[in-house]
Amino acid sequence: MFAYVVRRVLATIPVMALVALFVFSLLYIAPGDPAAVIAGDQATPQDVERIRASLGLDRPYLVRFGAWVWGILNGDMGTSIFTNLPVTTMIAQRIEPTLSLMVLTLILAVSIAVPMGVLAAWKQGTLIDRAVMGFAVLGFSVPVFVVGYLLAYVFALELDWLPVQGYTAFSNGFFPWLENLILPSVALGGVYIALIARITRATMLEVLQQDYIRTARAKGAGQSSILFLHALKNAAVPIVTVIGIGIALLIGGAVVTESVFAIPGLGRLTVDAILRRDYPVIQGVVLLFSFVYVLVNLLIDLAYTLFDPRIRY
Amino acid sequence: MDRRTFLKAGTAAGGAALLGGLPGPALSQGAAARTLRFVPQANLANFDPIWGTQYVVRNAAALVWDTLYGVDENLRPQRQMVEGEEVSADGLTWTFRLREGLKFHDGEPVLAKDVVASLTRWSARDPMGLMIKAIQQELVAVDDRTFRWVLKKPYPKMLLALGKNNSPCSFIMPERIAKTDPFTQITEYVGSGPMRFLRNEWVPGAKAVFQKFDQYVPRQEAASWLAGGKRMLVDRIEWVVMPDPATASAALQNGEVDWWENPLSDLVPTLRRNRNIRVDIADPLGNIGSFRMNHLTPPFNNVKARRAVLMAMSQEDYMRALVGDDNNLWKPLPGFFTPGTPLYNEEGGDILKGRRDLDAAKRLLAESGYKGEPVPCIVAQDQPITKSQGDVTADLLKRLGLNVDFVATDWGTVGQRRAMKNPVGQGGWSMFHSWHAGADCTNPAAYTAIRANGAGAWFGWPDIPEVEAEVASWFEAKTLEEEKAAMRRLNKAALDNVVYAPTGFFLSYQAWRSNVSGIQKGPLPFFWGVSKS
Repeated sequence: MFAYVVRRVLATIPVMALVALFVFSLLYIAPGDPAAVIAGDQATPQDVERIRASLGLDRPYLVRFGAWVWGILNGDMGTSIFTNLPVTTMIAQRIEPTLSLMVLTLILAVSIAVPMGVLAAWKQGTLIDRAVMGFAVLGFSVPVFVVGYLLAYVFALELDWLPVQGYTAFSNGFFPWLENLILPSVALGGVYIALIARITRATMLEVLQQDYIRTARAKGAGQSSILFLHALKNAAVPIVTVIGIGIALLIGGAVVTESVFAIPGLGRLTVDAILRRDYPVIQGVVLLFSFVYVLVNLLIDLAYTLFDPRIRY
Repeated sequence: MDRRTFLKAGTAAGGAALLGGLPGPALSQGAAARTLRFVPQANLANFDPIWGTQYVVRNAAALVWDTLYGVDENLRPQRQMVEGEEVSADGLTWTFRLREGLKFHDGEPVLAKDVVASLTRWSARDPMGLMIKAIQQELVAVDDRTFRWVLKKPYPKMLLALGKNNSPCSFIMPERIAKTDPFTQITEYVGSGPMRFLRNEWVPGAKAVFQKFDQYVPRQEAASWLAGGKRMLVDRIEWVVMPDPATASAALQNGEVDWWENPLSDLVPTLRRNRNIRVDIADPLGNIGSFRMNHLTPPFNNVKARRAVLMAMSQEDYMRALVGDDNNLWKPLPGFFTPGTPLYNEEGGDILKGRRDLDAAKRLLAESGYKGEPVPCIVAQDQPITKSQGDVTADLLKRLGLNVDFVATDWGTVGQRRAMKNPVGQGGWSMFHSWHAGADCTNPAAYTAIRANGAGAWFGWPDIPEVEAEVASWFEAKTLEEEKAAMRRLNKAALDNVVYAPTGFFLSYQAWRSNVSGIQKGPLPFFWGVSKS
């Protein structure tokens, strides 16, 4: 197992290198000019040119790429072209809101979606099953921003229960932190709940046909014991896989959710950086997201061994 | 106590008992009343008002750095940091004396050497500053409070240059900061104005915080725009960046923010229905929409093709696309200067008035020799003002019979591509849309878009000596009448040759909670004199 983990961790190095090369090259050939954005609309072409030179954007591709890679190898992700702040500082400022949003959404989604999927499988073909699947279709179909606006309208503007926007750091208290995250988590969680509920239902339906379930029933096991101890545990591997894949979905959804609820997270940082062509920030955030995704996949693979003792690395 | 506060208190009490967690300290009512939460027009992504000339940077900088002079609501420069000035009889030597007791935010006094360094950096970037620099003999500190600017030829607009509100303003910084190369960003934000910038609370893209500077000495006169006593009636100003207008609207309605700089006109009816919200025009000087053509490449390198566009364009179509049915928000603009200001005139503007004659425009286009070449229109879709104008333009040019190549892109790409002088087909372009703040269009001083000095001109590079001659006449004019006469001639020459096509004059709203008072109308949000109950 340890050797496997080491092998997988080492394998992330070429993956990250490829991501780095790809992101840098893509940004290099992409149109847009941060110097023009900095100089403002009234600047002359000469002003823009001098700013470009002062930022080193007139240097050749290989020189710029080499400097960036060398910086990363020395633990320096570069400095934002616009804010003059280190990229690591900007990411550090933004990581807590995004992490909070994703963790809360994950908890919310798993704790709702898995029981929903189990229930739908158990009550297959009934009204409950159809209601759960109907909700899943809705969750997939309605965009995050629509759900977000509706929730804000009802629970913030009409009922005045929760704030419309913003983020309060966890260090300022659990409840203020939670208060700001409830609506965004529900909005972001919709599609995730739908995804997990559907896969849970499908996998459970398959497992519930297995001989060992019939055996469990024959020996007089209770319904909840059959569902949650015998069936769900054996259905866990595909469900955990989907939860892992869904992390990418969450990252994408966080971009929209953070904009709708004005949460100062990594999603908004990414969008702002892309619109302004703040290359070091884009590169840093994409590298971070890639690393997180690779790490999540590793954790998912390791989690398989917990649910299925037959899997050994 | 509102419902949310009640629920929060109840939940917190219960939750604390269950989880042992307690909410963080809340602001007292008094503290909340001394904190103003403001939604700016854009993200404060950098904070060097000389290096980055975006309006949002200028607006924040006006809180943190003071200027030697400031324009008032009559567009006249008034003394601000200076106590007085003397100009020699030949107009070549300007001697300025600073007010007593001026301090930077680090507690150091503002000295003449700081002013000299600040003006040196500013004059390397600002159009008026560059003009002064070109005729500068010397700029020196005479003593701690006196500095002298000696010129090779008179510059009658000196005080306007030092007090104008157009970006970049001549903000006064400590010498060590002002010595930074003007094309490199400063890294320290020590101001001379009424508010300190709290760098440790700055989260670019989300929040910027300003704290009252207790040692700031305001002038005795009443505040008027950038002039007069800048008395801060709140202790703390929080800029909350909200990229989504719907969220900003909801936050204002919910009392989570106090003042929103630029609500979308679509959302204004909703805001007006809320009895806790006030809505009014933000800036009476408004904005001028711009259809900017490339004078270097066909078809718009021919004045007949440019005039065909003027002849066919309906400014009402453009303005309706921008502001909808609200007639308070726009007016036609058969000229280039801001309506309601002294130099506004309509000389040569008949081509933009009356019924639009598409057939005559088509004939004129044919006379220009247009042979169906592609016409790349680069239109930023992420800016509502450019997107709306672009949609109207695509239709207009197609009806005129031009082979439109509509390039829907983002503002960052427009910024890069419009700088390219290549022919069409090699990355070149034919037109793009922009807009100019009315405050920049009250005279030619900061009106980069009206200049027509060829390679030195703004994107599109018009080369029209008649226009440049009248700009020079304005700079040399000694009376308002002379200025007006020069600007009438300039307006005509600029329309005859189509420096650019104005698409109309439009205004925008600002909105604030009814417990906020003292908000002025002006070209930027002025925070002095604003209080909150």
